[in-house]
Amino acid sequence: MSENSRALKLAEDNQKLANKRKKAKEKWGIVLDTSKCIDCKACTVACKMENYVPVGFYNYRIWVAEDTHYAKYPVISRSFQPSQCQQCENPPCVHVCPTHASYKTADGVVMVDSKKCILCKYCMTACPYDARYESHATEAIDKCTFCYQRREEGKDPACVETCPPKVRVFGDLNDPNSEVSRLLAYNEYTVLKPEKGTKPKLKYIK
Amino acid sequence: MSTNTTTMDFFAKNDKISNIWLILTLLISLFGVYGVFNVLINGHDVYGVTRTVPWGILISTYVFFVVSSTGLCLISSMGHVFGIEKYEVIGKRAVILAILTLLCGFGVIAMELGHPFRMMIYNIISPNFESAIWWMGTLYGVYLVFIIIEFYFLMKHNHKGAFYAGLGGFIAGISAHSNLGAVFGLLEARPFWHGPYLPIYFILSALISGTALILIIFNISYGRPSNLPEKAKNALTGLSKLFGLFLGIIIFFDIWKIITSVYGAPPEKYESVMALLTGQLSFNFWFFEVMLGMLIPFFIILFTKGRNLTASLIAAISAVIGIFYMRYDLVIAGQLFPMREPAPGAHVQSALQNGMVTYSPSFSEISIVIGALGFCVFLYLLAEKYLNLSE
Repeated sequence: MSENSRALKLAEDNQKLANKRKKAKEKWGIVLDTSKCIDCKACTVACKMENYVPVGFYNYRIWVAEDTHYAKYPVISRSFQPSQCQQCENPPCVHVCPTHASYKTADGVVMVDSKKCILCKYCMTACPYDARYESHATEAIDKCTFCYQRREEGKDPACVETCPPKVRVFGDLNDPNSEVSRLLAYNEYTVLKPEKGTKPKLKYIK
Repeated sequence: MSTNTTTMDFFAKNDKISNIWLILTLLISLFGVYGVFNVLINGHDVYGVTRTVPWGILISTYVFFVVSSTGLCLISSMGHVFGIEKYEVIGKRAVILAILTLLCGFGVIAMELGHPFRMMIYNIISPNFESAIWWMGTLYGVYLVFIIIEFYFLMKHNHKGAFYAGLGGFIAGISAHSNLGAVFGLLEARPFWHGPYLPIYFILSALISGTALILIIFNISYGRPSNLPEKAKNALTGLSKLFGLFLGIIIFFDIWKIITSVYGAPPEKYESVMALLTGQLSFNFWFFEVMLGMLIPFFIILFTKGRNLTASLIAAISAVIGIFYMRYDLVIAGQLFPMREPAPGAHVQSALQNGMVTYSPSFSEISIVIGALGFCVFLYLLAEKYLNLSE
């Protein structure tokens, strides 16, 4: 099986899984503590491996950007901001999609039904986070799915699982006892571009 | 006998259109075949669009075509819909060109879409009524049906039928076209586009494209301004004045769009507008958009009072060239401010040192654009040569 057909099969399986989980009660989210990030980029590699992301420098679902608020020598600091699709609760990409190819699952994950995607790229212009790309493998727009294929087994997404210093914590924001809910209760946090009103489910601990 | 008269009504040979022009424009349109084949064989990689600038010159050319189509329909409706007799003479030519520009626009966007056939299926079986693209596409489909019927009735001299079809086309055209503005205007993520400005601006600029194209095509049909029949001269003199008025209004619109985007440097709007004023799009903006598109035609009409049809023709040609770049600037400038800071590791595609991103159309994209423009002119000349478009 070629990489491309694996990617396509994964996309199709995820649609079936999303249909099966129509009654899911969870609301998945990731809490990130960026102060722990060492810029090893293991998450970006794990994501590509897990999701058969096609080879290419600009084919990616997640990224680790360097913060550019450099201080001047000798007072210096360095920090990083790992990120991906914000899995918005109010996702502009879903609103603009003419064919419902971009949609939100019952458990709040924004996904692309590759069969319905007409590649008009409206979602790419609507996304305030540049989180989408055109995939040769699925011949559709592709993006982070929180590794939806892992939802049935209850495993963490690949980026979360692989992270050596545990920057990301994945869990159910609806469950007050989950680790993510606890982290949000005990820490101050922010989201990216809150002014866009997208209500991201990626929360950054301050 | 009756069949014979109908055929006579529909067809008439116009000897002013020489075969050389038909062959030449057909050859130019063949140039587009290169781009079409290249994209069919090698996929969308042959385009210059990127992750950060996903909409390129094919989208802006689509906008150019459909702006022209809507404008032609709106202007022509003055005659057979709103009953200004003076303008009835422009009906047939304007509506046939409206049909042809719309079809060429559809052709261009079909090359830009990854799955044009899938679009036709899922537009119907899985419609998203929240999507401006859905409304825009669907309403343009409805609009096409109306203007084809309108053209048929005009050719048949069925005034009542032309009135109803024309009214339908007018309403569908305005709705479709303002929805095209909304495709950009509804994007909260892109401050340069966001807001009610674009749907309004699109209608206004359609009126400009429409008047300019009508001024041009009448001169094509009769060879030169002095050959125009009295009725057409009257209509075109009136249109020239309207043309000047619309240009004045759009200059006013543009001035305030720029001032509100520069004053106080509102984030993202400011950077996009500066790309037009001093940045990578500045030549396009000042030379094509401002000079050819607005100032030159405006002053020509102002100083000739629209009475000199040769001058109006030059103004119209200048404006149409400028408007093509206007569309390009509008579509590209809105995407030049990246959605993420191009920091190390962020992999922001085609980022520049100044924090903006860039786009240049690829050879395949340009060939499709030139081919489509050439083909549109070819189709119009063909219609002009063989259809009875005079009253």
